Amino acid sequence: MDFDDTPDEAAYRARVRALLAEHAAELVHLDAGEEAADPRDQELALRRTQRVLAEAGLVGVAWAAEHGGQGGSLAQQAIIGQELARAKVPSLINHIGIGMCGPTVIAHGTPDQHERYLARLLRADDVWCQLFSEPASGSDLAALRTTAVRDGEDWVVNGQKVWTTLAHVSDFGILLTRTDPDRPKHAGLTMFVVDMHAPGVTVRPLRQMGGQSDFNEVFFDDVRIPDSERLGEPGEGWRVALTTLLNERVAVGGGGNDLGLSVESLARLAATKLPVLPADRQVLARQAVGRAAVAALANRYTGYRRLTAISQGGLPGPEASAGKLAGTAAAKLVADAGVRLLGDDAVFAVGTGDDEAGRWQRNQAWLPGIAIAGGTDEVLRNIIGERVLGLPPEPREDKHRPFNAGRQA
Amino acid sequence: MNFDLDQDQLDAAAGARQFFAGLASPAQARAALEGGPLAPGRQALADIGFLGITVPEAHGGAGGSLLDLAVVAEQAGAVLAGPSLVTAARAAVLLADQPELAAALADGSRAFCVVDGSAPALDAVGADTFLALVDGALVVAGGDVATGQPMDATRGLGVVTLTGPRVLVPDAAALWARARDVALVALAAEDLGTAGKAVEVGVAYAKDRHAFGRAIGSYQAVKHSLVDAWVGVEQLRSLVWWSAWAADAAPDELPLAAASAKAFAAEVLERAAETCIQVHGGTGFTWEHDAHLYWRRAKVDRLLLGDAAEHHDVVAGLVLAGALA
Repeated sequence: MDFDDTPDEAAYRARVRALLAEHAAELVHLDAGEEAADPRDQELALRRTQRVLAEAGLVGVAWAAEHGGQGGSLAQQAIIGQELARAKVPSLINHIGIGMCGPTVIAHGTPDQHERYLARLLRADDVWCQLFSEPASGSDLAALRTTAVRDGEDWVVNGQKVWTTLAHVSDFGILLTRTDPDRPKHAGLTMFVVDMHAPGVTVRPLRQMGGQSDFNEVFFDDVRIPDSERLGEPGEGWRVALTTLLNERVAVGGGGNDLGLSVESLARLAATKLPVLPADRQVLARQAVGRAAVAALANRYTGYRRLTAISQGGLPGPEASAGKLAGTAAAKLVADAGVRLLGDDAVFAVGTGDDEAGRWQRNQAWLPGIAIAGGTDEVLRNIIGERVLGLPPEPREDKHRPFNAGRQA
Repeated sequence: MNFDLDQDQLDAAAGARQFFAGLASPAQARAALEGGPLAPGRQALADIGFLGITVPEAHGGAGGSLLDLAVVAEQAGAVLAGPSLVTAARAAVLLADQPELAAALADGSRAFCVVDGSAPALDAVGADTFLALVDGALVVAGGDVATGQPMDATRGLGVVTLTGPRVLVPDAAALWARARDVALVALAAEDLGTAGKAVEVGVAYAKDRHAFGRAIGSYQAVKHSLVDAWVGVEQLRSLVWWSAWAADAAPDELPLAAASAKAFAAEVLERAAETCIQVHGGTGFTWEHDAHLYWRRAKVDRLLLGDAAEHHDVVAGLVLAGALA
């Protein structure tokens, strides 16, 4: 047992660190959770940052060389993630494209689609989004209602997606549609690549509870998609979507990094705020800080076990769902301890300020979304309960009947 | 990064599981509540080598690491074995420069108990050799043990009055602190085993028991509470491994890791044991069922060697002093 890099990993880390230092002037550097004042400036800066990193060979390292990657390992991918965090480079703007859309195109797309999309995706020439959830199908994704109807060489799409992160800056998306409502809900789905600039696509940003707009509603009104943009066979959309969701688990289940502001941030805040509290309040604040630190450490070291498995060539299984579940809980403890240390400042801080109080408030207002996005806490508990502990599944009464019948019932 | 057990440790865990399966069980923990002997008992633990895992080979032990001991302690916890490997681990640190006493620890010829002032001491019942910190010095002593109605008889708890103390190490504060941290790790490791077993028993019942025409484990209310308990166990496993590793490989990290592990263990085991009872319904509340034996262990262990509040405060102090920097 050790926490050291293997010689190969250490050499790779040194190379990554040197490249990041070499290109430091060309990269956006922000504290986790920070944002530039102007969203458009921020978008352009983030696109430029990803392009610089891609040209340095640091984007999509685990992808095969034929797809524009480096043919590297998930362990190398994890090292890059750690080094980007260390250098305070924010998440890649195309993280959804790299983590979820790209692998889906690789697995189910045609050579022509590979040629047209993948290299541009890695360079953030095109930003991608994932058009899955709908107003009436969130956790129950296979109940989605957006339709695609064949018309000559095209499909015509009508419907609405929601909670679509990055849709407002995206150039392309992977779009899950219902093409055969007479079949059971999982069997009548088909996946496409959609041009987000096509006529009939309308993106409307949603304002989140914290005030920011990271995600959107997307409306499709008679949007024509050429059949050549289909991913997989008609009716095979659920299988294609599972590729996306498996890669989401790989993308988010790996590192054990803190979600939201780190426990180190809490330690720094506490070092200034806690000693000036009255003695009896200090006792209570120390309980909150200690409890949050223990939860964060437990999650961090559990993440190291997943990294070990990845380093030895394994893939995260359903147990990786536990990392997001516990990580969210730990992040809430850290956030709550931090906000409470702000004292009276906490109730006046708005989530947009650049001061410390604003940072902690923004963090607090962000975390409820983390407990929902990418699998709600409840869905993750079902996954762990059924696939790890082997408990019997929930009854799913609509699973085998035609989708139309389900809607009428 | 290689944060996993090695093959020797996996083999040791499997061997320990097999050893304990024949010699200790919740049934014996129940019998102990009515005066039965500890199982497997000190001599059996000594004979298999478990009391000397961390005693140097030159002193008759196996010269192993605390992590080696922790994987065995987890298996001991799963069957509520007694006496505790916490005492063996802690005494081995205190007796690092006492070859004869260390040998007597490893071969079971002396029954050790480590005493923290007037707090109830683990494995005091039946002990003949007591170690304590008196005026900054490590002493070995005899002792008079006052016991009560034990909540968990496998812990051998008693309040000890030392008799005839003899100084072993005059200036022993640092040694004592390290030994106490090692004890926290071993206790967390035993709790890990108990908590894992309580979840396993609860899951098995939830698959088997039917209500309203379905296995109760299919209901989210039951499923999710078992999942939360299981997630806690896996997170605790990480803290146990880290803290046990740190004891030998990164001693500077030991105080933070050990306090974290103990604080977390207290709450994880309590949750697992309470969930186990709840999932079983009325059956889980009976004397005959094993669930209350895990619960007894939880309710006692959470208070031993400092409760979660004490260790959260220790963690906060270390974090404020820059332990994460």
